[in-house]
Amino acid sequence: MAGRKASRCDVERKEEPLKRAQRRDYRTLALVTGFILLVPAWAWLLPGDVIHMDIVNIMVFAGIYTFVVIGLNLLVGYAGQISLGHAAFFGIGAYTTAILCCRFTWFPTWLGVLAGVAVAGLIGWLVGVPVLRLKGHYLAMATLGLGEIAVILFAELKGLTGGTIGIPQGLNVKVSQIPALSIFGFDFDTDLKLFFLVWVLAAVVMLLSINIIRSRVGRSLRALHSSEVAADAMGVDTSRQKTRVFVLSAMLAAFGGAIFAHFQRYINPESFVLSVSILFITMVVVGGMGNLWGGVVGVITLTFLPSIIQALPYWIPGVPSGLMNFSNYSLMLYGALLVVFVMFMPQGIAAGLSKAAAYGENRFKQLRDRAGARKYEGH
Amino acid sequence: MARREVSRKTLLTVTAVFIAAVAGLTLALKGSTGLQWIVSGLTVGSIYALVAMGFSVIYSSTRVINFAQGEFSMLGGMLMYSIYMRAGLPLPLAFLVSVLIVTLIGAGLERATIHPLRNQSVISVIIVTIGLAIFIRATAKLIWGSEPVKVASFTGDKPLRFLGASIVPQSFWVFGLTLLAFVLVFLFFDRTLLGKGMRAAAANPDAASLMGISSSTSSLVAWTMAAALGAAAGIVIAPINFAYYYAGTMLGLKGFTAAILGGLGSASGAVVGGLLLGVLETIVAGVFPSGYKSAVAFVILILVLLIRPEGLLGRSEGVKV
Repeated sequence: MAGRKASRCDVERKEEPLKRAQRRDYRTLALVTGFILLVPAWAWLLPGDVIHMDIVNIMVFAGIYTFVVIGLNLLVGYAGQISLGHAAFFGIGAYTTAILCCRFTWFPTWLGVLAGVAVAGLIGWLVGVPVLRLKGHYLAMATLGLGEIAVILFAELKGLTGGTIGIPQGLNVKVSQIPALSIFGFDFDTDLKLFFLVWVLAAVVMLLSINIIRSRVGRSLRALHSSEVAADAMGVDTSRQKTRVFVLSAMLAAFGGAIFAHFQRYINPESFVLSVSILFITMVVVGGMGNLWGGVVGVITLTFLPSIIQALPYWIPGVPSGLMNFSNYSLMLYGALLVVFVMFMPQGIAAGLSKAAAYGENRFKQLRDRAGARKYEGH
Repeated sequence: MARREVSRKTLLTVTAVFIAAVAGLTLALKGSTGLQWIVSGLTVGSIYALVAMGFSVIYSSTRVINFAQGEFSMLGGMLMYSIYMRAGLPLPLAFLVSVLIVTLIGAGLERATIHPLRNQSVISVIIVTIGLAIFIRATAKLIWGSEPVKVASFTGDKPLRFLGASIVPQSFWVFGLTLLAFVLVFLFFDRTLLGKGMRAAAANPDAASLMGISSSTSSLVAWTMAAALGAAAGIVIAPINFAYYYAGTMLGLKGFTAAILGGLGSASGAVVGGLLLGVLETIVAGVFPSGYKSAVAFVILILVLLIRPEGLLGRSEGVKV
C-alpha cells in the first residue's frame, strides 16, 4: 500500500511542471494572437505603396499555411513520420469546396469548407492506414508518389476539376469566380475580414494542438518518434496513433486549402504540386521540427521572405533591382535554407533565436557584473 | 527461410509470365505499333535502370536514399549541351568532361552535407537531399534558362527499320551504356575488395570499421559512383528527350520506382525494374490518355512498397531495433 501511495505522489509531482508549461503556452498563445491581430494597424501606418508589400494580404496567406504547418508539424516534428504529399490534401480541401460551391450556387460556402475537411479526412484515413506501415525513406517516397498522383488526377479528371485550366474557368458553370466565404450571411470578401477570420481560427487550432501535445496522445506520439518498438512495448498502439495524427494533419491541410480556394477565388493544379508540399516541409524545418511556435515563425518568415527580398531595392538604395525578379531565385533560396537549417540549426529559427537571446542575456549579465566589479574596485 | 525462397521463385515466374503476356498481347493486338512501343519502352527503361543503379549504389553502401539523384542526370545533359554543342569539344571528350564535372559535384556534396550528418536521423538526411535537389534545379534554371535544349545524337539520326518498327541509333548507345554500367557495378560490388567492404559497411558499420573498412570512404565512393552513373544516363538520353532544368525530377522519381520495383540495392534489380517500368509506361501511354503516363510509375511505386517492399529480386532484410 505504502509503495503505491508513494508512486502516486511521484506522478503528481511530475504533473506539476507540465501544468506550468501548459500555462506558459496559454500565455504565449494569448500574447502571440494579440500581437498578430494588431498587424493590420501597422499595415495602416505603413501602407502598401510606402513599403511595397501588402502586409494584410500576405498575412492571410500565412494564416492559411499556418493550418497546414501546424498539422504537418504534429506529423513530422512530433510523430516523426514524414509526408512529402501534403499539398494533395491542401488541394483536396480546395477542390471539394470549389466544386460544390461553383456547381451548386446555393451551396453554403462554410459547408463546402467542412465538406473539404471531411473528404480529406476520409482519404487521409484510406491512404494512411496502408502507407503508414512504411518507414523513413519509403514513407517519404510513397507520400510523394501519392501527392503526384493527386496532381495528375486534378489535371486529368477534366469533367470534375476543370483540368489544367482549373475552377471555375475550366468548368461549364455560370459563376466567374469561386464565391467568397460566407458564414451565416456575413461575407468574408476582403483581405482584412479574412485576416481576422483566419488568425482567430489559427489561434483555436493552436490551442487544440497545444492540448494534444500535452496529452496522453502527444506523449505517445513523441514516444513513437524516439523508438517505435519501445513505444509499442510500452502499450502505445503505434499504428493507430500514427493514423490518427496523419488524418488530423490531412484535415488541417484541407481546411487551409478550402479557405485558400475562397480567398484566391480560382484554383488550378499548379497550386498543389510537389514544390508546394516541399514548401510546407521547409516551413516546418525552418521554424523548428517539434516546436509548434517555431512552425508559426517559419510560416510567417517564409511567406514574407519573397516580398521582403523583392522590396529590398526600394528600401535600400544601391541594392540591384534584379532582386525584383525574385521568383527566379526563390527555389534556390528554399533549397539552401533546407540544407543550412537541418545542418546548422536543426531546432529551427525559434530555438535559434531563443538560444541567441539567452547568449545575449548571459553576455549582458557578465558585462554588467564586470562593470559593477570595476566600479567597486574604483571606490 | 525455405518458404520464402519458394515464394520468391514463384514471384519471378509470375512476373516473367506477366511480362510475356503483356508483350505478346501488345504485339498481337497492335502489330508493328506494339513493337514500336516495346522498343521505345526498352530505351527509356534503360535510362531508368541507370538512374536506379545510382540509387542502389548509394543505398547498398550507406542506406541513404538520395533525392537529388535525378538532378545528376539533368546536370549531365545540360553540361553535355554546353560542352558538346556550344563549346564544340569532340564527342568522347565532351562526354568524359561532363561526367567528370558531375562526379566532382557529387563527391563535393557528399563531403559538404551528407558526411557531417552521418549520425543524424533518416528524416534529416532526406530533407537535406531534397534541399540539394531543389538547389541544383534552381541553379540550373539560372544558368541554362527554362527552355529545353537539343543535344545532337552521337551517331546520326537515320532510324533503322525492324519489322515495321523504327529504332533511332541513339537507342543502341543507351542499351550499350546500360549494359556496360551494369557489368561494371556488378563486378565492383561482387569482385573487388572495396566493393565488398562497402556492402559490409552498410550492413553493419561498427563491425565493418573494426575490420578496417571506413564507412566514411564508402559513402564518398558511393556518391561519386552514383553521380557518374546519373550523369552518364542524362547525357546519353539527352539526344532522345530534350535536356532541360526540370528533367531531373521525373527521372529521379522513375529511377527510384525502378529501383524499388526490382529490389533496392541490387544492380540486376535495377535493370529488371527499369526495363519493366519503361515498357509498361509506354504501353499505358499508348492505350490511355497520355496525361496518365506518369501515374503508372507512382501507382507501381506505391503498390510495390505496400505489397513487397523488398522488390522483385530483393530479399527481405531483418529489422534491427
